[in-house]
Amino acid sequence: MSKDNSFNWPEAVRTPSRFRNPIGKYRLNRTTDCIACGKCVEICPYGVHVIRRGQVFVKNHYLCVGPDCPNPCYEACPVQALSIKENPDFVAMGDYRWTPDLLISTWYMAEFGEVPSAGLQYRTGNSGGGFDRMRLVFRPGSSIAEEAEDDEVDISLQLNRRKDNAHDIRIQVPFYGGGMSYGSVSITTMLSRIRAAAALGTFCCTGEGGYPDELKPYDDHVITQVATGLFGVREETIQRVRIVEFKYAQGAKPGLGGHLLGDKVTPGVARMREAVVGYPLFSPFPFHSVYSVEDHKKHVDWIKSINPKALVSVKVSTPTDVDMVAVGSYYAGAHIIHLDGSYGGTGAAPDIAKKNIAMPIEYAVPKVHRFLQEEGMRDKMTVIASGGIRTPHDVAKIIALGADGVCTGTADLVALECVRCSNCESGRGCARGIATTDPELVKLIELDWGTQRIINLFLAWRKELVRILKKLGMGSLEELVGRTDCLAHLDYMMKGAA
Amino acid sequence: MRDFQTIDNIIRSRRMLKGDPSSRAYRETEAEGGCGVTGFACSVPVRGKHIFEPSKQMHNRGNGRGGGIAAMGLDSNMLGVSQEVLEEDYILQIAVLEEGVIGDLERRFIEPWFKVDLSGRIGRVEDYRDINGLDIRPPDVWRYFVRVKPEVLKDFVEKKGLHGLSHREAEDEFVYQNSFRINKTYYDAFGKQQAFVLSHGRNFFILKIVGYAEQVVQYYKLEDFKAHIWIAHQRYPTKGKAWHPAGAHPFVGLNEALVHNGDFANYYSVTEYLAQRNIYPLFLTDTEVSVLLFDLYCRTYGYPMEYVIEALAPTMERDFDQLPEEKQRIYRAIQATHIHGSPDGPWFFIIARNDAENKRFQLIGITDTSMLRPQVFALHDGQVRVGLICSEKQAIDATLKSLSEEDPRVGSVADLYWNARGGSHTDGGAFVFNLEESEEGGRDERQLVCMDKFGREIRVPEGQVPYLPDPIYYEMGDEPEDRFQISRFFELQEAEPLFDFVKEGIGRWDYTDLMKCLRQIKAWALKGDAHFEMALELLTLMMDRRYPTYDKKRRSVLQMVNRTLEAMFRHVPTLDTEGVRGGYRLIDWETRGLLRGPVNEEKALIIDASLFPPEGEECDSRLMAEAFFKGWRRFIVFGLKGQRFHGCGFGPDTGGVQIDLYGSSGDYAGSGIDGLSLYIHGNGQDQLGQIMKSGKMVIYGDTGQTFMYGAKGGEVYVLGNAAGRPLINAVGRPKVVINGTCLDYLAESFMAGDPLNGGGFVVLNGLHVDHDGNIRPQATPYPGSNLFSLASGGAIYVRDPFHNVDDQQLNGGEIVPLDEKDWGLILPFLRENERLFGISIEEHLLKVEGEARSPLQVYIKVRPKQNDTAGRDGLQEWGE
Repeated sequence: MSKDNSFNWPEAVRTPSRFRNPIGKYRLNRTTDCIACGKCVEICPYGVHVIRRGQVFVKNHYLCVGPDCPNPCYEACPVQALSIKENPDFVAMGDYRWTPDLLISTWYMAEFGEVPSAGLQYRTGNSGGGFDRMRLVFRPGSSIAEEAEDDEVDISLQLNRRKDNAHDIRIQVPFYGGGMSYGSVSITTMLSRIRAAAALGTFCCTGEGGYPDELKPYDDHVITQVATGLFGVREETIQRVRIVEFKYAQGAKPGLGGHLLGDKVTPGVARMREAVVGYPLFSPFPFHSVYSVEDHKKHVDWIKSINPKALVSVKVSTPTDVDMVAVGSYYAGAHIIHLDGSYGGTGAAPDIAKKNIAMPIEYAVPKVHRFLQEEGMRDKMTVIASGGIRTPHDVAKIIALGADGVCTGTADLVALECVRCSNCESGRGCARGIATTDPELVKLIELDWGTQRIINLFLAWRKELVRILKKLGMGSLEELVGRTDCLAHLDYMMKGAA
Repeated sequence: MRDFQTIDNIIRSRRMLKGDPSSRAYRETEAEGGCGVTGFACSVPVRGKHIFEPSKQMHNRGNGRGGGIAAMGLDSNMLGVSQEVLEEDYILQIAVLEEGVIGDLERRFIEPWFKVDLSGRIGRVEDYRDINGLDIRPPDVWRYFVRVKPEVLKDFVEKKGLHGLSHREAEDEFVYQNSFRINKTYYDAFGKQQAFVLSHGRNFFILKIVGYAEQVVQYYKLEDFKAHIWIAHQRYPTKGKAWHPAGAHPFVGLNEALVHNGDFANYYSVTEYLAQRNIYPLFLTDTEVSVLLFDLYCRTYGYPMEYVIEALAPTMERDFDQLPEEKQRIYRAIQATHIHGSPDGPWFFIIARNDAENKRFQLIGITDTSMLRPQVFALHDGQVRVGLICSEKQAIDATLKSLSEEDPRVGSVADLYWNARGGSHTDGGAFVFNLEESEEGGRDERQLVCMDKFGREIRVPEGQVPYLPDPIYYEMGDEPEDRFQISRFFELQEAEPLFDFVKEGIGRWDYTDLMKCLRQIKAWALKGDAHFEMALELLTLMMDRRYPTYDKKRRSVLQMVNRTLEAMFRHVPTLDTEGVRGGYRLIDWETRGLLRGPVNEEKALIIDASLFPPEGEECDSRLMAEAFFKGWRRFIVFGLKGQRFHGCGFGPDTGGVQIDLYGSSGDYAGSGIDGLSLYIHGNGQDQLGQIMKSGKMVIYGDTGQTFMYGAKGGEVYVLGNAAGRPLINAVGRPKVVINGTCLDYLAESFMAGDPLNGGGFVVLNGLHVDHDGNIRPQATPYPGSNLFSLASGGAIYVRDPFHNVDDQQLNGGEIVPLDEKDWGLILPFLRENERLFGISIEEHLLKVEGEARSPLQVYIKVRPKQNDTAGRDGLQEWGE
């Protein structure tokens, strides 16, 4: 095992919300009957209540775990001045895939670098299908001791399995940041993601909006994207990086290409892409120069002629013949096949596309995994899955289905306090200053804050993944690949029972 | 065309062929990407080994998982039958996958129905492993020369009610249906696979294997086998299970073999369409479906070739409107009937067809309406005429080279190269090479005529003779040795006057004189760097410019010039040669390991590319990039056979670097360059200048698909035409002069700012330089239906004095008159254009029908529509 023991994990540093009143699941109400006895402050393990100058008040609603609390203040209050109810904001947030529970638990992880201890369902959403109906199966007696050091469980991932002349790259965590272009998100968002990736020993993709100079210090952790619009793609940008990603399609909107509305094409974005301010930008579908697999090979050869050592990743959506696409990519010389399923996509992807076109990722991955195995090239190709990977449990599940690793996208944005309002594309973009290029809105996020939030989130993911592997009795993540026996699907279990 | 009743009867007669309804066969297709296809037709029969070179050129277009060839117009002696039997009998070829099945097959499907004139297993190499790289044993093939027994045929016609067919047509149909039954019995794509019919037409056969196409030729020992038409295919299937010879191309209809590059989006709907006509594909590839369609239109509907092509690749949009009314009426009817059978998506067919009724063979190339696959046609004229169709130009050049090595009457350069404009009113996107029986000449010799879809002949200039190697020319005793007084030019060190001298000389001299003159020039060139440079400049001018060649063929002159150049280059000392001075050094495949940086006065590296692979770590463009990092700044590459990626990998800020490419340059040349200058002496290929950032590119010829896709800048000059989709998604400030035209989709989604404030633009001159160097306007400067669609920045300046370009071609753009500022902007670029190509602003661009005009009358400007698109109202506050 070529585990890099010298890697220094970054510290989790508590990084609270940048808003004065973070949204929580519960809301505590204190009546005027309160006698400021301080009992609630004393018994609350989460630091929800504070006492100051003889007055007690609820400072951190969002940390309250509600009925999960071992010693609820609203029961202990001698004068029954406290009552609890669900926060109406909480109910209004999110959607079935990104439930309010998931949003808030992601925020929690981004603040503390730990999974929430109680009160929140941080493992699954409520979509009624996909990962939300799958469970990891832990068989008794198989687990590694809980006390084993986290470092003893290897979750790193080898990206170059062809063992050719390209870079030999191993990432410390089995995920890297998916492509989000400068233009679709702010430079601060982009930098936060990339700096976090650098700290965590992994990568982050630029998307297809050029390669801003601010990224230069992190070149070794950048994946640059060659997508159908070729925006901002230059020899220089291809030569700077160690991994080049071809984006053929996005799982959230296959067949639609890319589209950046005129409003988001600010002078900065236009400069980066060398386009015209205020005009919408189209990335065509597909590559006009690639209409077949041998064109694709030529395309890959081209990139290799510019940067011979580059690892080549091919990002495709999940059509029904995705398995053959994967094999074709192998023959064309790709190192990574990146399958982008249909659950992902920010608000900029039209709902009708997100919900109706591509194959769900949990079908695509096993299909590709099996097919590559049959063709005898599974061990020469790295399979990356993306599209709706929200939690470390999703990561474990998709790896058990046959992927080697995943790409994240929306989760990073949620760590920056995205509320999934799905207005990413409209007007100047994001009210929370994430998916925007408006010079005012961008200021809503500070770079160090954003970086640490994302680091925290993924440190929590790492811990959780390690915990899962320990429970499964596995010393490394590679052992989990394709282990569908570690999964159960609730739908079929019920059928079996009936 | 046939009457309705007969068509109906034929279709009904096939009812019995209906597949098992539960069969998945016709519902699933095998995934297949594009492939490499090539084909050529020759007025004399030529050996199979000539399909070798183009096939090898296309290795990168296949993965060795399926290759095949078809040969048509065969030699009766080599097959051991009489000429009559060859012409009249059907050649039924059966591939046997399971030993011992052939006896049963003969008993059930051949003996009862056919009179067999000759049968037997065809020759092959004893052990397939003797062929390098072939790892799956190809099938044994049995060949039968057969006619249907008269009583069997009579019975067939009676039973099926095929009285409307001629005797031969009925026999064709019988053979077709019988082969279908053979396949149905012995071949199931999802089950047992014992045998299948490779081909069953007259005077041609098909062979295919799991391997590369040239291995077919080797394995079945066809290197010396002669035929008039050869087509070949390299396959790149991506699905594993079906790797099987039956899935390889070519596929057979009846009297036609088809190879295909591309894949349909509507395979399923086409199979449904065929099912309605009782046709059921068995091999799960869209290629089989293609040939079934073709055969349906030819044989069942009895359409003439023009209508067959229309049914496959319908004329659309503006092109349809441009057709004469009578054609519109017919085409509308064809489209209404057959649009559901029309393949949608990228495809390109090469078809070899025996049109026995008219006693001719045909080689046909048809491209799809949207021109999504690369395709090149070429015509070689002379004592031996050759028509060629390939997916890449280098495959054409490789074929010609191979042919010329065997037969000196064939030159290594074709007279004409061109692309088809799919579904157009101009050429119909299809060309047919007809090999007609010739009145004079031997039995083997045929007349080759090339026509477009509408039956217009493609001609080369008349009255010119090609060069034939030396012995035929005799020197006149009284000619003074010094009649080429070229020393004075070399003393003066000026290439232009010498160019004029040679140009003028071509009119008076014969080929021997020209050769002698070129030899002298070469001799001078070897005398020192200054002379070398001048000779290089001269010979380059002779390649780049168009000028009258009088009684000589341009291709022959080019071939001689090219040979002189190559000889000159090969005389340059290699990197390890010691004790020589001079600025030029040669590197080639053998000496590539000696690469080092320039020392002393060395300034230019000459790369002999001939033995380098087209791509990958060992390719010459990679070597060139390495040399650049070692300090070389000037490169000359010659002997190219389609090698790719020249100028790629140099990185940013490469101003001052110059690259000259001679020979058949390849795809992606200049893609990504940032600062350097690239000169392509000849035609450019596909994907040139993609993402180009800055620098200069000059193409002394046509260029291929998606030229400058996503380019950010640079200064680019093209002497000829650009194929489809030039400058799509280009941004920033590319400045491009195209002297010819573009097939379609010029500058879609162009986003290159404001041209008057540093943004980008394209000047489209719409001119054609003919064989004699005359510069004439094309019929229309832009024939396509889509110009500047969805563009948000930049402009197109079109030389359009007669206002042929109209609003209907635009989508989001508008036509405005040129103003002085615009003219001031493009003038310097037109001056450079004049310097490079000799296209004069005063004489050629601003003269309309002999009269000088103001530029404002001659040019129009196409720019993005200036309406308030959504969101523009809030823009002021962005400022900048």
